Amino acid sequence: MSLWVDKYRPTALGKLDFHKEQAAQLRNLVQCGDFPHLLVYGPSGAGKKTRIMCLLRELYGAGVEKLRIEHQTIVAPSKKKIEINTIASNYHLEVNPSDAGNQDRVVIQELIKTVAQSQQIQSSTQREFKVVLLTEVDRLTKDAQHALRRTMEKYMSTCRLILCSTSTSRVIGPIRSRCLAIRVPLPSTEEVCGVLTSVCKKEGLTLPPELAKQISEKSGRNLRKALLMCEACRVQQYPFSVDQEVPVTDWEVYLRETANAIVSQQSPQRLLEVRARLYELLTHCIPPEIIMKGLVTELLSNCDGQLKTEVAHMAAYYEHRLQLGNKAIYHLEAFTAKFMAIYKKFMEDGLDAMMF
Amino acid sequence: MDEVTKHPGRPLWLSAEQRLIYKTSAEMQAFLKGATVQTTRPQKDKAAGLSTEKKAKAIPWVEKYRPKSVDEVAYQDEVVAVLKKSLEGADLPNLLFYGPPGTGKTSTILAAARELYGPVLYRQRVLELNASDERGIQVVREKVKNFAQLTVAGTRQDGKPCPPFKIIILDEADSMTAPAQAALRRTMEKQSRTTRFCLICNYISRIIEPLTSRCSKFRFKPLANQIQEERLLAICDKENLKYTKQSIAALVRVSEGDLRKAITFLQSAARLGVDKEITEKAITDIAGVVPPKMIDNLLQICFKGTFEKLEIAVRDMVDEGYAATTILSQLHESIIEQDLNDKQKSAITEKMAVVSKCLSDGADEYLQMLSLCSVIMQQSSQNN
Amino acid sequence: MNKLSLGDKIASSNLNHWVDPSFTDLPAESFSLPGRSKVSCSKAEPKRARKRKGEDSRRDPATSYLQKEPGQRDQDEPWVNRYMPCSQAELAVHKKKIEEVENWIRVHTNSSKGGILLLTGPSGCGKTTTVQLLSQELGFRIQEWINPTNLEPYSSSQDEWRMNGFSCSTQLAQFQEFLLRANKYCCLRMTDDDGATEGKLILVEDLPNQFYRQPGRLHDNLRHFVKTSRSPLVFIVSDSLSGDCSSRFLFPREIQEELVISTISFNPVAPTMMIKVLTRISTLEAGKSCGRMSVPEKGVLEMLCMGSSGDIRSAINSLQFFSLPDTSLEKELWRMKKDRPVISVGKVVSRTNQRKNKSKHTKEQEEEQEQAIGVKDASLFLFRALGKILHCKRGNHEAAEGVPAPALSSHLAHHHRKTLLVEPEFVVERSHMSGEFFNLYLHQNYLDFFSEVEDVARASEYLSDADLLTSDWTSRSTMEEYGSSVATRGLLHSNCQQISVGFRPLHKPSWLLVSKKHRENCLAAQSLFRSFCLTPVSLQTELLPYLAKLTSPMRNQAQIAFIQDVGQMSLRSFSIRLKLEALTDKEPGPLVTDAEEEQESARRWRLYHTVEHNVYCFEVTVLQV
Repeated sequence: MSLWVDKYRPTALGKLDFHKEQAAQLRNLVQCGDFPHLLVYGPSGAGKKTRIMCLLRELYGAGVEKLRIEHQTIVAPSKKKIEINTIASNYHLEVNPSDAGNQDRVVIQELIKTVAQSQQIQSSTQREFKVVLLTEVDRLTKDAQHALRRTMEKYMSTCRLILCSTSTSRVIGPIRSRCLAIRVPLPSTEEVCGVLTSVCKKEGLTLPPELAKQISEKSGRNLRKALLMCEACRVQQYPFSVDQEVPVTDWEVYLRETANAIVSQQSPQRLLEVRARLYELLTHCIPPEIIMKGLVTELLSNCDGQLKTEVAHMAAYYEHRLQLGNKAIYHLEAFTAKFMAIYKKFMEDGLDAMMF
Repeated sequence: MDEVTKHPGRPLWLSAEQRLIYKTSAEMQAFLKGATVQTTRPQKDKAAGLSTEKKAKAIPWVEKYRPKSVDEVAYQDEVVAVLKKSLEGADLPNLLFYGPPGTGKTSTILAAARELYGPVLYRQRVLELNASDERGIQVVREKVKNFAQLTVAGTRQDGKPCPPFKIIILDEADSMTAPAQAALRRTMEKQSRTTRFCLICNYISRIIEPLTSRCSKFRFKPLANQIQEERLLAICDKENLKYTKQSIAALVRVSEGDLRKAITFLQSAARLGVDKEITEKAITDIAGVVPPKMIDNLLQICFKGTFEKLEIAVRDMVDEGYAATTILSQLHESIIEQDLNDKQKSAITEKMAVVSKCLSDGADEYLQMLSLCSVIMQQSSQNN
Repeated sequence: MNKLSLGDKIASSNLNHWVDPSFTDLPAESFSLPGRSKVSCSKAEPKRARKRKGEDSRRDPATSYLQKEPGQRDQDEPWVNRYMPCSQAELAVHKKKIEEVENWIRVHTNSSKGGILLLTGPSGCGKTTTVQLLSQELGFRIQEWINPTNLEPYSSSQDEWRMNGFSCSTQLAQFQEFLLRANKYCCLRMTDDDGATEGKLILVEDLPNQFYRQPGRLHDNLRHFVKTSRSPLVFIVSDSLSGDCSSRFLFPREIQEELVISTISFNPVAPTMMIKVLTRISTLEAGKSCGRMSVPEKGVLEMLCMGSSGDIRSAINSLQFFSLPDTSLEKELWRMKKDRPVISVGKVVSRTNQRKNKSKHTKEQEEEQEQAIGVKDASLFLFRALGKILHCKRGNHEAAEGVPAPALSSHLAHHHRKTLLVEPEFVVERSHMSGEFFNLYLHQNYLDFFSEVEDVARASEYLSDADLLTSDWTSRSTMEEYGSSVATRGLLHSNCQQISVGFRPLHKPSWLLVSKKHRENCLAAQSLFRSFCLTPVSLQTELLPYLAKLTSPMRNQAQIAFIQDVGQMSLRSFSIRLKLEALTDKEPGPLVTDAEEEQESARRWRLYHTVEHNVYCFEVTVLQV
């Protein structure tokens, strides 16, 4: 029994549930026979990967679904061994080069070279190129991206790249200009509702539209999250009730409590407690950026007017530092402390105003 | 030819097999060192051998419609004039082309070289290196020097006269390291008898002074909209595309004077669309441009709305998958036109500069946009 | 048994290249020849050679020279050696400590079963001397391991290098062999020694380098030793303050417990004792030199004593240096001494009293002088160093004599602070820790010392600044100092309340542990759930937490355990899984380097679209004009 997310993942371009026009365009692209490098971008949970897999299936047939996980060792010029996991079929190879840290350049070059140089075994497939799918391109180092553009040109005849990233902001211009960029927006709330209902139908369940709406709103239009939520609802209670509480992940609840702790008291002692909670979140694999974002959202909902602007600035400032800096806790804590200080001042000013 | 020049003393007693290995390894070496012109071509020929028909389609239009002669180069009159003179027999100075991308810098020099040498000699006389190739100081010292030292005759094989020098094209020269550039200047002077250099870059400020002073500089202007439109229409006709005036206008608008971008977009649109129809929507989609309506909406919220509404609007834009950098540059354009006083505008653009830096450092798009928009909000609410 | 044969093999391979004549013309080779010849004759007299194994490695020419000519050495010998204590009374170690060591040795030499003793303490506090003295008094032999200097592999040809394998492994094997043999075989009475020696004690003071890299191998050796041990084994390890605290590293607590290693740690030599010794030596010397040299004044001795910070060896050395007739140094010191305010004897003897009595001003000056004269850097233990920053001691206004600092203008008045009593950079330097680590320690502990949240906000910002300064690994080495300076001074400056908080326990930074766990968990998550083909972020924030909420039976045991550990969070408020680890009084810095962190930061995205910013900035200026 697999997760609904995987079980009901569409496998053909024609069966995609939303952005159908784009799907049609992609089909045109494949049918042309010619196929440029692609850069697929969009927020997480928009269905980029699903779309890409559908595209590959359209290209090569069902063979692409026979996946195998391979563990590869690449030796860098500096004799350092880099271990990397790839997911491959006979026709394509998927790799997340940012796994290799700052050696990603070598990984990209070597992997693409091997793929491009190994000829297609079965001549029955009419494509003379293989596809290399690189995920999280926006996390690649600048060095690797520059290497990529050369590699892209070099092996154009035997290999196509599909790059997958959440945003193009961090992809360098030369790469963007060498690829056909495909933007995959998040599905609208209605579309999410539609997908949820159809999935539940296939499972033989009835999903009240109110609950579907609630889930899709809570998921923030992230389809993967919505499906996971829906499945969690199912585990929680069936038959569904209209006013059922949609289960939220533990860390989100924890983060909310943390935000409440910050708002309810501002003192060094409380900051110490918050720090412990931040540490706890970090050990539970929550990336610091996500923590920061979550905190900001929760805190923003707790304050108003002028204060919000200020908080937004601070958040942007410290999140940037988080990216540049080395030890996330300094910046998370600095943000919290700063918020505490201005919030306290705001509350005191408010009190003073009330007094007079 | 590269192999021959590189390994003049290749032993003749090698067996055929050995020679093959020798050749391929040399080829690989050349490949890795990045002599683009010589090595990619044979490979392409090989691959294209079976299905020439199919391959013909695969050539990007940018390559397909690259100007074949200097005359065809659009809009860059001064350079064309100089190059034409040298085609008629005058000497050619060392060249430095600079200007925004897609204005025909590389095309111009390639076309000129092709006309100077003809297709046969071209391969021997022209060395093209771009930034993706390994171009550290070592390469400059060895590869460039070795190539530059070869002397050449003043006639072609078919008896026509040709200039008695070689051309080394250094594309994207602004990404060369300063030491590599410094190493270049000696070579440039020493080999002036037999070699001309052509440096191509986007930003002349990144080329060291000694190099710029050794070259005649030509600035390539962004193409005028009309010229661009003419070119695009010509391509559309040749490719039998259906187009509307609006779609071409949109194409010109999103490409911002970058003809290469425009042609790439055109080709992509043609590939994605049904029946080779170019629609305005397809163009904006491919370019990843945010619909102007959305930008206007965002600004209206900034001017009149509340912070809560702003939060929602920004979240929506990010959810739609638009890149923050694109939003930023579009916002920038419309802010300049808005009815704000200079002080407000400068405060906003200053914040934009900060946000742009943060984004390129990898900061979160949502938070950065939110912070930018709240500055706009703050500014517009002041003394207005 | 197989260890023995291993040793033999190595011995023979050593032999091998001694036979090889082609390299004997190398100077280094011929130099070490005499020492080596002993080994080569080991074929003939294996037992004897084995026994002397420890000694033969003592090939330092200077010491052997000294040993050969006892008559001459008296003149040029350093005073440290000349006035080596000959009785327990002369030993500048606390009586109780001596007793402790003595008892241990007595117990363990008499029983047939040996044990392991670890002597720790700062350098120059008399660890070795105590053991040597006791051995003389109790009448047992010391068999000491000294690292053989492997000159040969470096000077001889490369081929031999390869044949022998790495030199360190040879050293290692030699050490193994030494332990084994020293343990197994009784001392042979080779010459007509006094013959009274009964017990034997194995002394190890310097360990083969390999052990520092792989302490596990040492532990293996020791385990083996403990099983078969007959004679007591004493390790002497100096605590250095520079962070590489070898005793903790080489002998972690688990091993100490497992192998029943008893530990006796020595304290720095107390000032009173040191003064006593110095006085004794100088009186003796003065008597010898027939008036050429006078006994230095008490003040001078005190100064020396302070400068040495409890290291008696360095104190005696500096005394000898100081007493050299007619040196400019002497005058220098005198001059300095005259400038100095009077110091009572009590100061040295009871620092604590003095701290309260003396004005802060003089104390500060003293510290400076301590540095000026001090032969040895007075290092600060981390605990004290942190305290100095965190407690933020500031002087009174009156203390700032001379020209008063120009007052800040009114709008900056809130930035005014009284003069600092400590020099933060100096404190960091003396803590012998990298600035980054020091900052981590500060960060862990600073909150306890603040009372206002506004101050905390400022302090935390400084810490964040400091991290930013050192974030780029290419420039880290240069920026580190600035980073720590910003952090320490920032903390001091922002702590403007200046409340006295009294004693607060200090803790070790939990960040190291947290970030390590974070990394490990992320890696584990990715490898366990690879089949879902998700990016790390969505895997960790979406899939795992929901998997924890679902009941899907297909997962394997490892996955289930992981989900339970990481996917779920206990929501009871403030359950803190992390145990705070208190920092003890005399604990040196941490051992872990953050090489991994460096990688992490290096791989972070860095791309500067300078041109784009220029466009905007340009506009800003245009508009502002």
